[in-house]
Amino acid sequence: MNKHLTRAVVTAAVLGLAVPALAQTELSFWSWRQEDVKAYNEMIAEFEKTHPDIKVTYTAHEAKAYNTILTTALAGGSGPDIIHTRAYGSLENVSGAGYLEPLNDQVDLSNFPADLVRGTTLRADGKVYAVPFATQTVLVYYNKDIFEQQGLTPPATWDEFMDVAEKLKAAGITPLANGTADGWTIEVASGAIMPNFYGPDFFGEVTSGKTTFADPRYVDALEHMAQLAPYMPQGFEGVDYATMKALFTSGAAAMFIGGSWEIPGWRDAGLNFGFMAGPAAEPGKDRLVATWLDGGYGVNAASPNKEAALEFIRFTATKEWGQMLADKLANVPAVKGVVPKDPALAEIIKLQEHQTPYIMLVAFRFKKPTGSQLLQDGLQKLMTGAMSAEDVAKAVADGIASAK
Amino acid sequence: MAKVELRGVNKQFGSVHVIKDINLTVEDHEFVVFVGPSGCGKSTLLRLIAGLEEITSGEIDIDGARVDHLAPARRGVAMVFQSYALYPHFTVAQNMGYALRVAKEDKAVIDRKVREAAEILQLTEYLDRKPKALSGGQRQRVAIGRAIVRDPKVFLFDEPLSNLDAKLRVQMRIELTRLHRELNATMIYVTHDQVEAMTMADKIVVLRDGRVEQIGAPLDLYNTPDNRFVAGFIGSPAMNFFAGRAESVSDAGVEVALEGGTRFTFPCETPGVKAGDVVEFGVRPEHFSIGGNGDGGSDGALKGEVYAVERLGGETYLYLNSGSYRDIVAHMSGDAPISIGDSVEIGFSLARSHLFGPDGQSIR
Amino acid sequence: MQSTDYESVRRARTRNLKLWLALLLTPAALLLIVFVFIPMGSAVLYSLYEWDGLARKGYVGLANFSDILFDPVRNKVLFHAFWNNVKVFVTLMIIQNGYALVLAMLLARNPRGYRFYQVVFFLPVILSTVIVSFQWKLFLNPVFGLVNKALIAVGLESWAVPWLGLPETALPAMMLVNAWHWFGFPTLVFLAAIHRIPTDFIEAARLDGASEWRIAREIIWPLMAPAVTIIVVLTFIGSFNWFEIPYVMNGLEGSPQGSTDMLGLLFYRTAFGSISAGGSDFGHGSALAVLMFIFIFVFSILATKYLTSREVEMN
Repeated sequence: MNKHLTRAVVTAAVLGLAVPALAQTELSFWSWRQEDVKAYNEMIAEFEKTHPDIKVTYTAHEAKAYNTILTTALAGGSGPDIIHTRAYGSLENVSGAGYLEPLNDQVDLSNFPADLVRGTTLRADGKVYAVPFATQTVLVYYNKDIFEQQGLTPPATWDEFMDVAEKLKAAGITPLANGTADGWTIEVASGAIMPNFYGPDFFGEVTSGKTTFADPRYVDALEHMAQLAPYMPQGFEGVDYATMKALFTSGAAAMFIGGSWEIPGWRDAGLNFGFMAGPAAEPGKDRLVATWLDGGYGVNAASPNKEAALEFIRFTATKEWGQMLADKLANVPAVKGVVPKDPALAEIIKLQEHQTPYIMLVAFRFKKPTGSQLLQDGLQKLMTGAMSAEDVAKAVADGIASAK
Repeated sequence: MAKVELRGVNKQFGSVHVIKDINLTVEDHEFVVFVGPSGCGKSTLLRLIAGLEEITSGEIDIDGARVDHLAPARRGVAMVFQSYALYPHFTVAQNMGYALRVAKEDKAVIDRKVREAAEILQLTEYLDRKPKALSGGQRQRVAIGRAIVRDPKVFLFDEPLSNLDAKLRVQMRIELTRLHRELNATMIYVTHDQVEAMTMADKIVVLRDGRVEQIGAPLDLYNTPDNRFVAGFIGSPAMNFFAGRAESVSDAGVEVALEGGTRFTFPCETPGVKAGDVVEFGVRPEHFSIGGNGDGGSDGALKGEVYAVERLGGETYLYLNSGSYRDIVAHMSGDAPISIGDSVEIGFSLARSHLFGPDGQSIR
Repeated sequence: MQSTDYESVRRARTRNLKLWLALLLTPAALLLIVFVFIPMGSAVLYSLYEWDGLARKGYVGLANFSDILFDPVRNKVLFHAFWNNVKVFVTLMIIQNGYALVLAMLLARNPRGYRFYQVVFFLPVILSTVIVSFQWKLFLNPVFGLVNKALIAVGLESWAVPWLGLPETALPAMMLVNAWHWFGFPTLVFLAAIHRIPTDFIEAARLDGASEWRIAREIIWPLMAPAVTIIVVLTFIGSFNWFEIPYVMNGLEGSPQGSTDMLGLLFYRTAFGSISAGGSDFGHGSALAVLMFIFIFVFSILATKYLTSREVEMN
């Protein structure tokens, strides 16, 4: 063989061996947040600045199919190193199966509110399986331009709320964009209205078994929900989430009850909007907002790069990451002490001073039928007048009692 | 039973003119056969009478009443299809009684009529069977039975025997003739087979290209065809034609010169040709006398070379070429010591020969 | 000696032929095994275990099946969904296939432009079901939808209801969408069946004095039985596996108020979880899938047997 050729082959072989030794650890990171790809890549870049030996690739799947894709991949022994998890029942599905690495002694979570850490804790073993990332809060959005034109001020109490709604309706404007076609949107709406009537103690009592959903406070809250129906769009039974958003952004409807994740959407639409907590039951009472943990960041227990993945996870537990979540994604971070540049987020954090857990998701989504299924079904019947508040409350209570 | 009259009947499918100005009378009790090559319009004509197709113009009368505007069922006709068209999900009895059931006839009456028809057609033991379980001949009889039960003014048959094998066809031919006699019915029968036409018909209508070529009794058509087409179509094997020249025309007739020098004067009253015209001389195979034998006489003769001999025992067919006259067929009864390559003289008698003018019309 | 020679050559020839056959059948057999039999087998296997999320726990025998069928909380949902599937089957038989039958009978008379109609009727069939569902969801939207706008335009304001939002109208609306999407298929199958009937039968019946209605009922209908068998069985299978249209139009929960819940949706919710129904449960989900398969399989076979027995051969 030719000498030159021999040398070339040997050189190539040496180089070929050398390359992996210099290579970065590549981590894959799956999520359902397709709209956040750009921001996540920027945030990951911040991590990679201080960790040049680790490269993180963010992949976002379709939100609706994410759980299925993830669970199928994990069951098949594949799946990413870093997993953007949901919280509560959906997290249990993954963590309970042992697919997630317990984080208790490996990540410092002392800077997170205990209520939120519960959202990523497996009830069975009490271990934490993900770093909480952001919270969602149910808000009442309103169109500032419409309120101004009609000479209205944002209502603080239920009576004012009804009054504003009546005036808007009289002016030919749909007061509330919400519909019931997508059951979950009416459950979200209930998170702004109902806590103000069942009060701050109900959650603790109903979860500890001291009372049930047939409680008069809950019935009262449902009765007030039912009073919203006349102010919802005509044909609200067929108004789905997309239509709700279209109604609000087009200015056809003046108010929209929804989660705090809507803010970037309203901004993109160029809407002059404000938001507030749901109206207080009576003047002088606290205005309660329902909140929940949106999810967390976990590590695949079967990952071959567990150390690197944990290193990344630790970064997501810092205030620095929380600040980026707030500033780049307008997420309300779960970590304490972040002061968002965005005044809207700061406002939400202020509203959260009077918060109560978003009840069905946080506490009643572990058995079947789930509290969400029962409540959505009940609310659809309540809003159309097919069922009384009392009967809905009883149906929810019975359903919860029989769930397994 | 009834008379059928067609007056100036035309049928066009779009721009295609398939039936051209037909005038025709089918007498009461008559068995009339429409015959002609495929595409001549004979089936269409039958369907026009049945009402399965609408006429474009003209008039059709049955039993003295105009019917061409009526629905098929109201014309008083019954039809037997080539495919028999027996409803496969009905039994024989149900098939035969269907029209009566549709007419809301009394059940007992239906039953009686079906049984009577079955009796005539020897189908009694098959009444409860489905058509699938019957032989071709039996199905044919059920199809006829279905027509009989309706007691129509006119029976229409659309090539009813063409799906049967040769032996059964002969049998059914005879049976249909017998049936016609027994029912004493008016029947119109379509076929492309001139043997069926000859054997069954009281009257044959020869059709070509949507027109009537000739109407007449079978033997009239055989003996005195109006034109070259009818002459060639009726009779099997077909008539031989020899092109020739009209040398002169006189009171005695037309003097014809064939190739090879054969000359004769064909006696006729209204020649319709002039000297120098091209004429065709026609002789049926069975009217030749071979080697001077037979009853053909010898008003003239051609000399030909035998290239094929078919011996059927009782009769023999010779195939000859004579100059430019190719494929001449000659028939003789019995056997003859003739072999391929022999030169044979075939004679003809003018009384049993035919002459056709340049327009194809017979010269008589 | 020579005879053995011939024999070995002959045997080699048949062996070759068999080899070829095996070669040609292998890909199809592999596909069947990998994508049909193995998933079916694993569904049966999964259904016999308890599952916690994604983790397979202990073997529980037929407990998942008895839960689904006999547990009052679960079987209420099951029978509710099943009853909806029954409604879908019966309704589609009438509105979709009945309409198709009428159209086929009309088209069989070769009206002017019949080729055109045939193509137009078949067009919705070639569209994707997901697209059809989504497009009709937009048409039926109570705020922007064309359907209600049109109803209002012609003065039928009281008819302009939120079709997909009311428990009384949501399922009927979806079934109409399904009928719109699929009617071209039975139309074509029926039309082909009618065209197969010799025209002589129909003409003979016409001569026998039968009305067009009577011909349709007594001659054409019985003779198109094989096509009817195919369509009934396919509609049956389609109805009990109905998924795409209710899923795309009203989501996994059978909204509103469970009025559009179907076995397929229930299966999906149970096995894979949903935003409202919580996490996945492969055990009960697989058991439901197995039950659905057995039900559809057994009834399809029984129906085919029964329907085939009333078919007649046209000679």
